[in-house]
Amino acid sequence: MTPPPAKRQKRNEYRKANTAVADDASEIRLPQKKFYRQRAHANPFSDHQLNYPLSPAHMDWSSHYPAFVDPEPSHTNLAGTRKLLKDVEVVDIGCGFGGLLIGLAPLLPESLIVGMEIRVSVLEYVTARIQALRSQQQKLRSSAIPSESSPAAQQPQQHHQQQLQATETAADAASPSSPDATGETLSLVPGNYQNISAIRSNTMKFFPNFFARHQLSKIFICFPDPHFKARKHKARIISETLNAEYAYALRPGGLLYTITDVEEYHHWVLRHFGEEGADAGQNAGVTELFERVSDEELEKDDCVRVMKEATEEGKKVTRNKGNKYVAVFRRKADPEWPA
Amino acid sequence: MAATFQYPFQCIKSVERRNSGRQLIIGSAGPKIYTYAAETGERLGIWPETANTAEAKAAPSTTGEEPPEKRRKVSPPPDQKPEDSEPASQKSRKPEASPAWSTIPILAVSADGEYVVAVTAEDKCIRVFEVEENGALKQLSERQMPKRPSAIALADDDRTILCGDKFGDVYSLPLIDTGKGSVAPRAPAKVRPDQPAATTLTVHSKRNLASLEQQLRHYGQKDKNSAEEKPSSTFEHHLLLGHVSMLTDLICVSIPMDSSSEKKRSYILTADRDEHIRVSRGPSQAHIIENYCLGHTSFVNSLCIPQWAPEYLVSGGGDNYLLVWRWNEGRIVQKVPLVDETSDSEVAVRGIWVTDKMVLVAIDGSAKLLCFTLESDGTMKAQNSIQASGNVLDLTISSKDSAVLVSVDAVHVAGSTQEWRATPSSSSTLIEAFRLKSDTENVEWEPMSEAITSQVNSQGTSEISATLEEKQKKELNDALYSSGNLRKKNLGEDE
Repeated sequence: MTPPPAKRQKRNEYRKANTAVADDASEIRLPQKKFYRQRAHANPFSDHQLNYPLSPAHMDWSSHYPAFVDPEPSHTNLAGTRKLLKDVEVVDIGCGFGGLLIGLAPLLPESLIVGMEIRVSVLEYVTARIQALRSQQQKLRSSAIPSESSPAAQQPQQHHQQQLQATETAADAASPSSPDATGETLSLVPGNYQNISAIRSNTMKFFPNFFARHQLSKIFICFPDPHFKARKHKARIISETLNAEYAYALRPGGLLYTITDVEEYHHWVLRHFGEEGADAGQNAGVTELFERVSDEELEKDDCVRVMKEATEEGKKVTRNKGNKYVAVFRRKADPEWPA
Repeated sequence: MAATFQYPFQCIKSVERRNSGRQLIIGSAGPKIYTYAAETGERLGIWPETANTAEAKAAPSTTGEEPPEKRRKVSPPPDQKPEDSEPASQKSRKPEASPAWSTIPILAVSADGEYVVAVTAEDKCIRVFEVEENGALKQLSERQMPKRPSAIALADDDRTILCGDKFGDVYSLPLIDTGKGSVAPRAPAKVRPDQPAATTLTVHSKRNLASLEQQLRHYGQKDKNSAEEKPSSTFEHHLLLGHVSMLTDLICVSIPMDSSSEKKRSYILTADRDEHIRVSRGPSQAHIIENYCLGHTSFVNSLCIPQWAPEYLVSGGGDNYLLVWRWNEGRIVQKVPLVDETSDSEVAVRGIWVTDKMVLVAIDGSAKLLCFTLESDGTMKAQNSIQASGNVLDLTISSKDSAVLVSVDAVHVAGSTQEWRATPSSSSTLIEAFRLKSDTENVEWEPMSEAITSQVNSQGTSEISATLEEKQKKELNDALYSSGNLRKKNLGEDE
């Protein structure tokens, strides 16, 4: 699909202007979503031009999490790039514009979180957004250090509150001139957004190239493409066969979070994790590797709140007064080998 | 002068029948399967029978004129799509009709030598045959799979067929059809909902709302004539695992749990077009992935575990190297180059086989059969190769004398997957046999002139006209050399 020339030209101009701004570094601006929009669907079965590591041991994470790079330069992975002090352990599959990542970052400041997105422009947006947030934090930190408790340091906080309220309603609205209005950055946050990043990938094909066995503690699948037509159901990100790959990458005790606004998809999810349908409670196939987490437990889980409120889709559903269906599953230990 | 080629054997298997001890050779050429007595090369049967009564009558030595009706056996034009019009359970095919498939790309034989499993290409059917007393094949069942099968293995002491397909799914089917319907866990999902999954709460744009409205109307109408439900498949099959990529090879292996234990654990190894080799537990727990063997940068086409060193796996595909793995650990033992480092020619591994001490590797469109020994540390050492008279298509190893029986392509120029030979030779070569020279230190191969090869070659298979249209030629090229199509090309710029 070729975008109309005018659109393309505007985007190019915007990007050029952006790099100019980045060069003078006087002002840090968040990217504007309108220059990065892309058709909501990508065919997961076609051969995209993708970069993916040969194996998890070949993945260069150092460029994604510079603050977590192992200070010892001789510690390198199989591809010869610097190792990190810890492994990535939280994944947002289909991270879209990155709302969940940014919401999770302060909640899990010690965990490395990665978003995966198949759409090029959307990924560019997330990357630019995280970069800008990190720079803002950097700036705030350097200005906050001299007088940490001074009123000056609190002022942005208030400003932040106001802006949040002001932008909550307009966040996704298509008002053309509004700068990207995610104002949650004007205060220092735990982790300074150094713990989040995003990569372009087709997770349906290449998930095992990025993550080793039992590497992950949390997987998020938020508002997945519902693929309404039955003919397209095989393109859904949740299926019996893909759930086996999630089980492989999740450590026992790890959690897989799902949220959708499509009731039918919610039942699809429950069915494919063995909570509903003919196999409910029978523990047949891959469903024996997961158990559903109770509602009481979810109420105490901040990640669920972020998933409901911080994602772009979540906000949109709230605006449209839609429903949100949450289901979280815990990875059980592998069963014994058959005798 | 009738310028005709013979269909080469796309698959060839040596069969040792456990009950009678008889040795057979079976091969698939074009749309047919031929069986031969291994000792004499005498042809014992052709399947399907009805389509070739004329040929069965022909004396073994005739290589001359060809009965006109055989011409019809070339593949049907692609736009006819025979697989869609053919119901799976069609038992009484009209005797005159040419078969619904043009090639039989996969053959598998049960360990006891009593059953043969074949995949017919266009109609996506898995067919199970019983090997009869006289060596002929009797079809027991035909089961049409949802997608075209691309790899077959037998598991559970021959009781189960594992079938990998073009869409990456692996199903298990009982070897002997139970006649029971499928109880695949996906079944409930297939039940048609009585309303669309989308609602006004989930779609908002003008266009989507309009199409939702239309759907609602449509669903209302359907209530009246909901009787026409498409019947789901009528045979038992279970989805075991799936890749989101074309499945290219599949093997099932059992190894001792540890060195001190008698207990064995079974595993399924699957390879796909996106460079992955996945190691899963055996059929009953195939949803548990033990690890991945990641190291290829192009499609993986062939997996081979020597029965005498089951801890090692040799894999190959679109890369110009083979990999030797300790597959249970996902660890590469060795990268074995297939061509000179300097050459940038593309190679595709066609198949990997093991004899009782050697690993043999065929390259797509090559008459040279590479030969390696596997050392005790798991590294492979190149030995003298075998030179066949045409491209190697398949091979089988006789269990009796370890002779290597190679199926040779006498249609194409040796070394090419596209170019046809100018003139068909008077008696075309279908198979050649080789054995290790026994009196030398080094590995040296010598051709064998046994009854089997001369007899099989002189009887021929069915014939292909040498004056085919380019399009038909290309179809045959693609049928015989499909792995080139696995390579990823024309990756569009995404935006």
